[in-house]
Amino acid sequence: MLLHLLVLAPFIAAILMVATSKEDPKSSSRLAFLFGIAFVAMSVALIAGGAQTTQAMEWFRIPGAKGPAFYYLYSSSLSSWMVLLSTGLSLVALITARNTTCKNYRNFAIGIFALMGAMNGTFLAGDIVLFFFFFEAMVIPAAVLIAGFGGKERTKSAMTFAIYTLVGSAPMMVALWYVLTKADNSLLLSVITAVQTMDPSAQKAVLICFLLAFMVKTPIFPFHGWQAISYSEAPAPLSAILTGAMSKAGVFGLIVWVLVIFPLDPGVVSTMMWLGLATAVYGALMALRANDAKKLLAFSSMGHLGLAVAGVFSLSESMLPAVLVLLVAHGLSAGAQFLLMGIGERMTGTRELDKLGGLARKTPVFGSLFGFVAVMALAVPGTAGFVGEFGVLLSLWNAGPLPALVAGLCIILSAAYMLRFVQKVIFGEQKCEVADEKRMTALEGSSIAIMAVLLLAFGMHPAFVTKDLNFVSDEAVAEMSKASGTAFAIPAKESDEDLSAAADGVDAVAAPMSEEDFRQLDSNLAANGFSEEERASLIKQLREMDKEEADLNAQADEIDATAKEAAATEAPAAEGGNK
Amino acid sequence: MTNLPLWFIPLFPLIGTVLLGVIAVISSGSKKGPSEGFIGALAVLFPALAFASVVLLALNMPAEGLRSTLCNWIDIPMLKVDIGFLFDGLSRIMLLFVTGIGTLIALYSIGYMHGDRGFTRFFAYINLFLFSMIVLVLSDSLLLTFLGWEGVGLCSYLLIGFWNHDVNNCKAANKAFIVNRVGDIGFLLGMLVLCTIGGSAILNYDSLAAFIQMIVSGGHVDIVIPFLSLAGLCFFIGCTGKSAQIPLLTWLPDAMAGPTPVSALIHAATMVTSGVYLLARLCSMFVLIPDVLTIITVVGMLTAFWAAVAGLFQNDIKKVLAYSTISQLGYMFMAAGVAAFDASIFHVFTHAFFKAALFLGAGAVIHSLAGEQDMRKMGGLAKKVPVTAGVMLLAFAAIIGLPGFAGFWSKDLILEKLYVSGPMGPFFYGVGLLTAVITAVYMSRLIILTFFGEYRGSKESEKHIHEAPACMLIPMVLLAAGAVGAGYLWAESIGLTTFEQALEPVVGAAQASVIHAAAHVNPMVFAGLGTAAALLGVAIAYVKFGKARIPEAKGSSAPTGKMATWTFLFDIIHGWFVALTNIVAWIVDNCIDKLVQFVQWLIAGIVEILGDGAASFQVRKVRLQLALSVAGVVALVVVVLLTGGLI
Repeated sequence: MLLHLLVLAPFIAAILMVATSKEDPKSSSRLAFLFGIAFVAMSVALIAGGAQTTQAMEWFRIPGAKGPAFYYLYSSSLSSWMVLLSTGLSLVALITARNTTCKNYRNFAIGIFALMGAMNGTFLAGDIVLFFFFFEAMVIPAAVLIAGFGGKERTKSAMTFAIYTLVGSAPMMVALWYVLTKADNSLLLSVITAVQTMDPSAQKAVLICFLLAFMVKTPIFPFHGWQAISYSEAPAPLSAILTGAMSKAGVFGLIVWVLVIFPLDPGVVSTMMWLGLATAVYGALMALRANDAKKLLAFSSMGHLGLAVAGVFSLSESMLPAVLVLLVAHGLSAGAQFLLMGIGERMTGTRELDKLGGLARKTPVFGSLFGFVAVMALAVPGTAGFVGEFGVLLSLWNAGPLPALVAGLCIILSAAYMLRFVQKVIFGEQKCEVADEKRMTALEGSSIAIMAVLLLAFGMHPAFVTKDLNFVSDEAVAEMSKASGTAFAIPAKESDEDLSAAADGVDAVAAPMSEEDFRQLDSNLAANGFSEEERASLIKQLREMDKEEADLNAQADEIDATAKEAAATEAPAAEGGNK
Repeated sequence: MTNLPLWFIPLFPLIGTVLLGVIAVISSGSKKGPSEGFIGALAVLFPALAFASVVLLALNMPAEGLRSTLCNWIDIPMLKVDIGFLFDGLSRIMLLFVTGIGTLIALYSIGYMHGDRGFTRFFAYINLFLFSMIVLVLSDSLLLTFLGWEGVGLCSYLLIGFWNHDVNNCKAANKAFIVNRVGDIGFLLGMLVLCTIGGSAILNYDSLAAFIQMIVSGGHVDIVIPFLSLAGLCFFIGCTGKSAQIPLLTWLPDAMAGPTPVSALIHAATMVTSGVYLLARLCSMFVLIPDVLTIITVVGMLTAFWAAVAGLFQNDIKKVLAYSTISQLGYMFMAAGVAAFDASIFHVFTHAFFKAALFLGAGAVIHSLAGEQDMRKMGGLAKKVPVTAGVMLLAFAAIIGLPGFAGFWSKDLILEKLYVSGPMGPFFYGVGLLTAVITAVYMSRLIILTFFGEYRGSKESEKHIHEAPACMLIPMVLLAAGAVGAGYLWAESIGLTTFEQALEPVVGAAQASVIHAAAHVNPMVFAGLGTAAALLGVAIAYVKFGKARIPEAKGSSAPTGKMATWTFLFDIIHGWFVALTNIVAWIVDNCIDKLVQFVQWLIAGIVEILGDGAASFQVRKVRLQLALSVAGVVALVVVVLLTGGLI
């Protein structure tokens, strides 16, 4: 129910917003805040409630596809956190937008809610057609908002944004259709089965099309042409959402719809890792030279997401939690920075670094908050950014010393541009007038401060984010199996493990561990300094897992057997139907 | 009172930070600001409470130290770290002087920062610094130490750029942070290397020591030596950043842009010595890698010598002290490099007293002269500010190593350890002794130019010269007392070895494993030579500067000509790297990015041309359009049929 609400209710909210006044931002903002808070509450409930899944409903049939597409949603830890970013940033964006985009606040709110719904759909979809539908749908409200509320070059940037991202995912659409002609239906698990059995060259072509779409969305060098202009011309609250939540759709897609589906060969993995690192270096260098505050932030985001993508393709065990923390940290810190810069632009009327300065003295509260958030963005230990960056660094180090060194270089460069940014904006001589009536309000300040405090909290206790990390829950697997009439128990197990398995290209052969293995493990752990209790509990866990696995395998064999029987009787009929 | 939990110590300054920070933000709108007395009391209270709890714990500490794990911090695959504290002989000594001197300097700052707009903000930063420094020293794992490590770097950045309306201060602050970041990457990589050989568990100091002991007893040393060497080198790069050693030392002289109490606390007494602390903390690892230790000794030696010479050329009183700090840190690294970790920590300890006293004295001088820092405009101040002069003279005696003062004991100990360290020992000793002579020269120059001779400033400024208020003088006097007496904790020639015994459980085993061929040396010879070096330096300075006319001060106080080249040698080298980065950034911006945009534009252009071509179908030719529509429908139907129909 929660999932349906999170995906569909934003669209209803958008429709309801039409009823409010167009001229008076005060009255329309009240309703918008109410909706925004409700959505944030829902997404918090989603995280607290653990993995959920809906009933798969048949949606429609695509010509040529073997099976139907479903309206099917499920949540994993990764997607729940992305949903929280989307709803949370939308709420704060709505709050700051009330004073920034005064004219026609109502339409702005309508756009934001539509965007939020599309983003939530992207993160929660369990069906690849549904995912792609939302993935494309995100672009439209975002482009309309840029065109309607953007800066001087808004039309051009909206066009660039829409065309670039839509064209980028066009090949994916074709590839998707091809996959669907092979897969039983378009649910995640059926797609996995279909792709795994595909001819290698076709598989590779499909993979490249998928990668392209996600690389454009993230964006990854050299497909970043749309980013700087869109982020800088978009109204600041929207930029915050674009970088904090929408760009995550690219990384999310890479994790959920590429890593899980495709058996990856080392060549592609290392290419992607290096592209990610190149993006990180490129973003940092461009940020070092940027003279437009929002462009600087755009390139800084690009650098951080490049690091995240490099982390994703380092494929170590710590990859998923580290990248998740990095994404959450980046969403909050980059979002907060864009929002603050929006307020700064509102106060001073400029966003050119050379014309800004001295805001710390003139508006101390704004200055303190600005500095505080910048420190969070520097990934100083104790903030969530550090946990993410260190995890990613560890993961890259496992892939080789050189990637880790490059990532280290990026961390140095990020300090250089971030400090330059802080110095130019809030320190030094005051060069521009500050309009008193446009100062940061208490509501704006406190909502951004909450984001900053969250960054500290996640930095000191990342378990908020990383505990019970799961990809596809058992219920989701069961639902997908039911919907497509086949048992997916085994592929599901693989999808959990394939991250580590894909790293060395070996299928995880889950042979039960012998007593000998346990003793060996125990001594290894002892050598690594684990205490007596830790070892005992670890081994106990392993034993339980072993047992469960054995049970599961037995069950799966049974289900397999029945499924085969059923398939044997159904298959001719189905084929007949297709012809 | 042994049941006092360890986390109380960092908790107090943390409360102070939050409280003062909130007050600073809330009151920032008002013109007058909160009462200085109230804020000052709060600002001193929390460090004092931390100091009190350290003392209580220190008195009741069992020999093997106290350990407590507060909670889990990071728990992801491959990386499991707890927040835990370790209170042993090493952290006890560090904490005692960090919180003690921190409290004194907070007290001093109340007077120094009187009337400043950012009074509350300043003390919030100072408390944050103390929190980070305590975490750095008290933590039981490398990762938590790194939290303190970057935390103190951040506070250093905030305090150097404290007067942020001047862009130059901001630039100095940025430089400090970025140069330190370079070192911090070394620290990070060092941790990664350790993770490779033992998993994240050995980031914990106890586990690391156990791991190394296991390797040594198992005879597997050869396998891990390459890794350990790499890790050691990475950690040392981290130390060169934080402790201002070659090549990452350029930030420390610039850091003098901050308020003087900050220079005393952060850039002399505590933060810059954390590199030495780290080496001592990891001593069990470093003694296994003699090659890295040799590098450390050589770097320390070069730094000590280079900075001492640079100190001769400075006219700014704080800059002299800054180079002096770098030079003294070089001594500490030399000691650590010959595996005399206890001697290096002892010098950290004594140095904290006399250098803090010198800085606070310099601060009092600057305060009395209303901000003048150029020594060429001082002179004859001994009569006008007698207490300050007395404090500075005592600290001066300590730093040049006059017998009986703190610096004498610790510096001689280091020189002695250098001499017996091996075949290269006498050479290291010689350079150390030469540096001691130079130290005496530049310090005497400072004292002579500041306190003796005639006053060289303007007439009207002379009338305003006044002694500092009591809240500034009390900490100075206490620190001067430390500069005199701190050395007697380890005065070997008169049989006092309290300090050595206190560190024995932590570093003793490691040091014992690299016992040098114990050459029989007479300690009195070293003491005599050391004293002679100091006296020689004073004599040279007296002859050179005692009577000489001081050149008129004009323009900036920065050195010129060859002296500037020597002083800014490493700034010039850093400049190359910055220029390289800028060039690469320029290329990326102007070549690669333009290329990407060009390709984009090209594709868009081609599409547009094609579009124009297609638009020509859009004319009023009904037949053609009808034909095209029919063709389209046919094509669609064919596609649908070929692919298996609509169902």
